[in-house]
Amino acid sequence: MHSLIRPNAWVALKLPSGSTKVLQVTPNTTISLGKYGSFPSNLIIGRPYHLTFELQDRLPDENFSRLRVVPPSELYAEVFADEAAPGCEMPAAGATDTVISATDGEEFSLVDDDGNVVARSNREIIDESARQTLTQAEIEELKREGSNAGKDVIAKLLLSHTALDQKTSFSLAKYKLLKTKKYIRRFQVSPIDVANLAQWQLEERDASKILDMRAEMIGLLGCWGNVHFGGDDVLLEDPGATTAQGDEACVPVDRDLLRGRWLVVDDTSGLLVAAMAERMGILYETEDEGAHSSSEEHKEPTEPSAEQSSASAAENSQEPGSNPSVPAPATQQGSDTEMADAQAAPPENQGGKKPREQKPRASDFAIPYSQTNTITVIHGASQPNLSLLNYWGFDITSPNHPPHPLLNHLLTLSWLQLLKPELDTSYSTPPLTATPETLASWKPSRRGNFHRKRRRYARIRHIVDATRAGNFSGLVCASTMDPISILRHTLPLLAGGAPVAIYSPNVEALAAAADCFSVPRRTAWVGGGAPEIEGLSAEELERWPGNERFPLNPTLLQGVSIQTSRARHWQVLPGRTHPLMTERGGADGYVLTAWRAKPAEGKIAAKGKFKRRKVESEAVTPASG
Amino acid sequence: MAPTTRTCVSPFLDPGPRTKANSLAIVQLSRDNLLPVYLQVPNGEHDGYAEGAVVNTRYGSFPHSTMLDVPWGSQIRASKVDTGSRGRKRKREADDQACREATAVSEKDEEPSAAGADRDGAAAVKQAVADSSGFVHILPPTPELWTTSLPHRTQVVYTPDYSYILHRIRARPGSTLIEAGAGSGSFTHAAVRAVYNGYPAEGQRKGKVFSFEFHEQRYQKMKKELSDHGLEGLVQLTHRDVYSGGFLVDGKSPEADAVFLDLPAPWEALPHLSRRRPQDMADTDGAAAGNGQQSWVSPLNPRKSVYICTFSPCIEQVTRTVSAMRRLGWVDIDMVEIANRKLHASRDRVGLNLNFDRGVNNSPRDVEEALARLAEIEARSREQAAKPRDADADEDMDLADEVGAPAKGNEARNGEHAPSTEETSTATAPWMEGRLITRGEPEIKSHTSYLVFAVLPMEWTEQDEAAAAAKYPVGKEQKVIGAIDKAARKQERRELLQKQQGGASRKARRKERDEKLGEISG
Repeated sequence: MHSLIRPNAWVALKLPSGSTKVLQVTPNTTISLGKYGSFPSNLIIGRPYHLTFELQDRLPDENFSRLRVVPPSELYAEVFADEAAPGCEMPAAGATDTVISATDGEEFSLVDDDGNVVARSNREIIDESARQTLTQAEIEELKREGSNAGKDVIAKLLLSHTALDQKTSFSLAKYKLLKTKKYIRRFQVSPIDVANLAQWQLEERDASKILDMRAEMIGLLGCWGNVHFGGDDVLLEDPGATTAQGDEACVPVDRDLLRGRWLVVDDTSGLLVAAMAERMGILYETEDEGAHSSSEEHKEPTEPSAEQSSASAAENSQEPGSNPSVPAPATQQGSDTEMADAQAAPPENQGGKKPREQKPRASDFAIPYSQTNTITVIHGASQPNLSLLNYWGFDITSPNHPPHPLLNHLLTLSWLQLLKPELDTSYSTPPLTATPETLASWKPSRRGNFHRKRRRYARIRHIVDATRAGNFSGLVCASTMDPISILRHTLPLLAGGAPVAIYSPNVEALAAAADCFSVPRRTAWVGGGAPEIEGLSAEELERWPGNERFPLNPTLLQGVSIQTSRARHWQVLPGRTHPLMTERGGADGYVLTAWRAKPAEGKIAAKGKFKRRKVESEAVTPASG
Repeated sequence: MAPTTRTCVSPFLDPGPRTKANSLAIVQLSRDNLLPVYLQVPNGEHDGYAEGAVVNTRYGSFPHSTMLDVPWGSQIRASKVDTGSRGRKRKREADDQACREATAVSEKDEEPSAAGADRDGAAAVKQAVADSSGFVHILPPTPELWTTSLPHRTQVVYTPDYSYILHRIRARPGSTLIEAGAGSGSFTHAAVRAVYNGYPAEGQRKGKVFSFEFHEQRYQKMKKELSDHGLEGLVQLTHRDVYSGGFLVDGKSPEADAVFLDLPAPWEALPHLSRRRPQDMADTDGAAAGNGQQSWVSPLNPRKSVYICTFSPCIEQVTRTVSAMRRLGWVDIDMVEIANRKLHASRDRVGLNLNFDRGVNNSPRDVEEALARLAEIEARSREQAAKPRDADADEDMDLADEVGAPAKGNEARNGEHAPSTEETSTATAPWMEGRLITRGEPEIKSHTSYLVFAVLPMEWTEQDEAAAAAKYPVGKEQKVIGAIDKAARKQERRELLQKQQGGASRKARRKERDEKLGEISG
């Protein structure tokens, strides 16, 4: 992934001003960078990421700017000049540029093309009224001429600054940097991955949309949640249900097959899901252009995508009109095959693995989801908000989706479906049935609806049942909801020893959750200090509904701790290394981590001598901490 | 080990539902006190214990048999294990042996086998008996738990650092990662988890970590650890000094997508991580070992941008590293420092009518409480003073009163409030008293190391550019995207809306047609 810029890929353009522009590189369009100019998109398509491009002056017979790759020697020309010994006046590269170079530690000078010193800093005099002799109109004129990618403007600006010779080396460097940021016509293309998108959201878009979740927090959540590739895909066999079969044909959930599944509560518009999917290897579509020699990188996701493409092809044929590009004859063909298929469904669907070519369409009750390496999202609204996944070509709302690895690894259900599935219409309404004959007599649209509803029923049935079967490998949250209430309903679903990682932009919510597992509370619980749990079975204790004294069963989590992390960025320049003065994306965030414990049955006491004064904190050795 | 025939996945990657024999488990003694244990099936007496291998802690003794084949996360009760007589017995044995060694050296060879036979004779493993108190939890190994419990060999890269590093260097399933300075292996374990996408079959390329360690002993220990942890097919450990030896493995390029350097002098290793033979390397160390003069092979993936992170504690190292990176063409150079803080949530219990437990501050909670108490004391002393008394005694009493006032006040208060505390304990449980607070830990790691990140774009030649230019010719631009002015955006919007309406009507038309078709066929 991310080797070359592909047509229609989402990319981040980093501008000299430090801002980032995120856009989709559509072929045959002009990309405008505002004041820095514009260029045809085809000039960056097919090129590598992370190169620095420079907009060149328009050739006399062309009406667009061509791009030039700026070599690193030129990018760092000034730094090299700074580092250079007094002996060598000219930097190794970028000889045509006018650069500021340090002749010694103290003084900076501006040298022109021939190496003559045109300006020299002087530490004694700092003129407050230093000013630019070029008028705004003249600068505009220079910009319009716009020669040499803005470098001429910068050089002229520096030269026409009356007090340039009075600036200290530091203020001179700063002045030059300021002008460079403003006028140099360069940009860099970065791929849209989770790190880049999160940074862009945080610094330039709405940080609250992703709950101010910074890179450090994403890293911590992923690691403490132990999120990783959860095993090769395992698909359930197609039951080959005929249209006349109802509920009884549904594939039962096989608990032994369910492995490497993570439970997620995500209120960051899908950023958390994307970060987890990235860690599990199911976020990026594989690149079909054979830039890779590694064949298995294709192999793993192509199988599911083949599966999916057939499913979406099937949907195409059943929902005429939903794909506007299909011309009329094709639609008719589609409905024909659909009829044939509906009648011939049972004999065709046997065996989980089918050849790629002319694979028979899966029956309505075939489960497209992998049993391993999946993310299960529980959402509070009736539909999950995973809008940021659009940047990776995944649209959860799209009914017939082009192949994407998330399609059969991302399972979503609402809290209602999880906790009270009998109240959810799509779960509890039994599936429609019809004999093939009746079906054949229906109009195509009605038939399409019939299949769609049956498919939806089977999928929801599977998601809900599999989720309720529990045994998840971990829980990762970044939610605005109270973590205590989330834990109450999700803890029973976790496998023993499964990690829990909860992000919150404020510490109070996490502290309240951690307090539910405090040592005194736990001691009271196991030491008989809680009359309300007398006589409850282990199963009942696991699903403890909570009361005021014990909002959660305090023995279900071990090692509850809260932490926060902060990256401090530094500027590293010769003689000018220091932390950055300001940083964007400022708010802190906190992560609560713990492991799911399987408490021993019956009363249990910690080792150690203690006076039995009360059911109290001193009765506890750190053993129960 | 033949990776194709592998049946057991590393417990770090898939621990399975229950604990297994001969596999790593982490015993959690207390919150931050973790103990890695390789669980053994008890077969006969072990190390003097009748129960087989036993973990002895200050929280009790735990025979391995009680920890085997239980669900992960289980709370394990301590067992009654005879530790005392074992100690004496061993001492006696040792004494015996010392005697024997002193007298007959020739016997020494037979001694262990004899003892072994002796133990086999008493092979019946004693069933563990549960103790009345003490417990631990048993957790599946993860890189985080391993990092806090591993045997230190060098400075460890802790979770706050490695989590951020792996995120920034884009270590993902299927990536190939170079790690130099394996050290204690904490980063290695986290890196394996990040790049893991299945064990490679013969000739297959999967996510892999190429790890380098120049210290012989650390290398050997690491090698053993990796095999114990079932990570052999996923980590390729090489014993080498990368400054001179470079990063090729068996003369072949690992084709790394990401690099992590935990070395004292990263700038010495950086020239090896180039796309082409760097110029100054030929001067300085001539033919780098294993890299022939003619064919210099880059250890990097030629088809991708490569991400790097170096980990150095001192700023001088950073300066030199960054300088070297700039000269070698790395871009997006960024230096950061991670500050991690652990917070402890607790109850801040301050108040006069609380009990005398540890952690309770028996001073007034607020001004009102202080005022009430002062008034109370004042009233009582006035009461005392009002009582007609013998003059001498009165003076003494006054003195005593003044000195002992707080203590007396406390007692009186306790006497008074004792029943009411009982009442309140039913209303507010002691664990719910006080204000919930979070505090940082008294000792923090305020500086671990400076992290330098950078990216090396893939090589792009004139030919490549020409090919790309031919494939994507310019000149057919239709619209403008990116920073466009308001008018243009409005116009676009209008067109889009029109198109959508058009689409909708087309959809309607198609639906009509379909219905007709349906009628015909039905």
